[in-house]
Amino acid sequence: MAAMEKNIYHNKALQWGVYAVFFIALAIIPLVQDDAFILNQFATYGVYGMLALSISLCWGFGGILNLGQGIAFGLGAYGMAMTMQMQSQDPDINPIPPFMLNNALEELPFFWEPFWNTSAGIFLALLVPTLFYVIFGGLMFQARVAGPFFAIMTLAILSALATLFIDLQPYTNGVNGISPPGALDLGFVVVDPYSSVSYWTVFVLLLVSTVCAKLLTQSRFGLVVQALKNDSERVRFLGYHVAFYETAVYAVSGLIAALAGCCWAFLTQYVSPAQFDVGFSISMVIWAAIGGRNSLIWAIMGAFMVQGAQSYVGDEFLNSWVLILGLFFILVVRFLPGGFAGLTESLLGALSTGGRRRGGDVPVDVSKAGTEGA
Amino acid sequence: MAGVLEIHDLRKSFDAAKVINGFSLDVTELTLQCLVGPNGAGKTTTIDLISGRQKPTSGSVIFRGDDITGLSEHEIARRGIGRKFQVPAVFRELTVHQNLEVAYSRETRVFRNMFHFTVPGCAERLEQVAVEVGLKDRLSVMAGTLSHGETQWLEIGMVLMQNPSLLLFDEPVAGMTEHEIGKTIEMLNELKKNHTIIVVEHDMGFVRQIADIVTVMHMGQLLAQGSISDIEKDERVREVYLGAEEEHA
Repeated sequence: MAAMEKNIYHNKALQWGVYAVFFIALAIIPLVQDDAFILNQFATYGVYGMLALSISLCWGFGGILNLGQGIAFGLGAYGMAMTMQMQSQDPDINPIPPFMLNNALEELPFFWEPFWNTSAGIFLALLVPTLFYVIFGGLMFQARVAGPFFAIMTLAILSALATLFIDLQPYTNGVNGISPPGALDLGFVVVDPYSSVSYWTVFVLLLVSTVCAKLLTQSRFGLVVQALKNDSERVRFLGYHVAFYETAVYAVSGLIAALAGCCWAFLTQYVSPAQFDVGFSISMVIWAAIGGRNSLIWAIMGAFMVQGAQSYVGDEFLNSWVLILGLFFILVVRFLPGGFAGLTESLLGALSTGGRRRGGDVPVDVSKAGTEGA
Repeated sequence: MAGVLEIHDLRKSFDAAKVINGFSLDVTELTLQCLVGPNGAGKTTTIDLISGRQKPTSGSVIFRGDDITGLSEHEIARRGIGRKFQVPAVFRELTVHQNLEVAYSRETRVFRNMFHFTVPGCAERLEQVAVEVGLKDRLSVMAGTLSHGETQWLEIGMVLMQNPSLLLFDEPVAGMTEHEIGKTIEMLNELKKNHTIIVVEHDMGFVRQIADIVTVMHMGQLLAQGSISDIEKDERVREVYLGAEEEHA
C-alpha cells in the first residue's frame, strides 16, 4: 500500500510543540502585565483551566461523564481555606476561629487540629478529595454503574455535600463560608493573591498537571482507558480489571480538581458552599465540551474562552448571558461534536490530505501516536 | 492427551427457562472443537459461562485442573482463556495498531501501566500477529473504518495478542464474504497447530473444513459428539439440525 497521508493533528512532536507555545504565552503575561487585579483574574482562569483539564481526562479519555467535579474542587478549597484560617490563629492566645466562637463552640473541633500545620493541611486538602473519589468511584465502578447513571450519582453526592457544609454551620460557617484574614504563607514565600507570586504558583501547577495528564494519556494506562471508553466489556475479557482503571482515572481527575480548589482558596481568600454549586460543576463540562473533550489543551482553552467571554462580554448582556452561553453550547454540540479540537482535527486533516482524496479509496488514517489532539 | 477444559453437568436458568440443562464437555489439547446446534441450543450461553460473562446456576468448569466456575471475566482471561465475540468487538476509535497493543495484556496492574509507555515483547508479537491475521498493511487505520471481515480478523488478532492457551470463537465467519471465509479457514487451520480452540458455528460447510471434533447441542444438552462424518451420519442430529438446514436450502 502506498504511503498514507498523515493528519499532522496526530503528530506527537507537534502536539508537544503546541503545549510549549501555549505555556510560553501564559508565561509572558505577567512580564507584560503588572496590574494586580488582571493578574489575579488570569490566575483564576488558570484554575478553571485545571478543572477543564480534569474533566477532559475523565470524560474525554475515560468516557466517564462526571457532573460533580465540584466535589473534589470544593473539598480541596475548604481544606486550603482551613489551612489559611489556622495560620492566623494563635495556639495560646486565640486558638479558635472567630466564626466558631460566634457559633458557641468552645473547643477547636478535632478535624481542624491537623490544619495547624500548613504542610499537613495542604496534604489533607489534596488527600481527602482523592480518597473520597477512590472510595466512591470504587464502589460505583465495582458495581458497574456507568454512563448517565454514574453522572447522576455524582450530581446527587455534590448536592448532598453542599447541604452538609451548610448544615454544619459551627464547623464550616455554613452559607457564609470561611474567609481567612491573611494570604497563604508557605514559609519561604507568601502567596499574596494580588501579586505575580500567586499567578506563577497557579501557572506551575497548571503546567505540571497538564504535562502529567498528557503523559498519562500516552502511557499504557492511557491506552487501556481509551479502549474502555470504546468498549469496556472487551477490555475486561482481555484480562484487565476495568473497575480499577475507571477508579484510577476518576481519582486522578479528582486530584487535579482538588489542586484547582486549593488554588481557588488562596486566590480568592474565601470559600463557601457556592464551590459545590451544581451549575458550576456543569459549566466545567461545558468548557471541556466547547474546547473539545478529547484534547486536554483544547479543554483548557475552552475554559479560557468561555470564562473570558463571560468576564468581558457577559457584563454587557447581564442576565441574558446564560441564555447566550446555552445557545452557543447547543450549536457546538449540534455542529461541532468534537468542539474546537474536533474542528481543528478535520481542518488539518483536509489540509494534510489535500485534494488527493478525490480518488475515493484512501482510508482515513491516523498515526499510532494517539487519538488525542494537539 | 491432557484435558484442557472439563465441563461437568453445567446448568443455567433464567427464571423458569432452563437454557443449559446438564451439559458436560471435555476439550483435549491442540484440537479444534466445533460447537454446533440450532438457534437457542445454548451455544453462546456455554461460551459465556466458560468465559465468566455469566455465572452458572450449578455445575463446574475446570480449566487445566483449576476450578474456574464463577470467577470474573478478567480473572478467567488472565488464566489463559481468550474470547472472540459474535458481534465483533474492537475499539473503533483506536487504530488497528493500538487495538493490538491493548490486547497484549501481560501487564494488567494499574500503577505499572501508568509509568510505562511500552511492554517488552509487544512490538515483536504485534508484528507476528499482524501478519497472521493479514492486517500488516492496515496497522495505522482507525479500527472503525475497517470492513466487516477485517474487523473479525482484527478481533482474532487481539485474542492472539493475549496469547491464551484456549481460544473461544463465537461465529468467527458471520457476515463474511466467500473469499473472506476461505482466508479465515486457512487462518484457523494454521492456529490449531499451536492452540486449543472452541468454535461456535452454524454453517456446516465451514465446520467440515476446520473441525477435529464436532459437538452438537440441542435444548441446552449434549446431543452428539464425534468426527464430522460420524455427526453427519447420526440420525438424531439430522432430525434436529441438519434436516432443518436442508429445509432452508
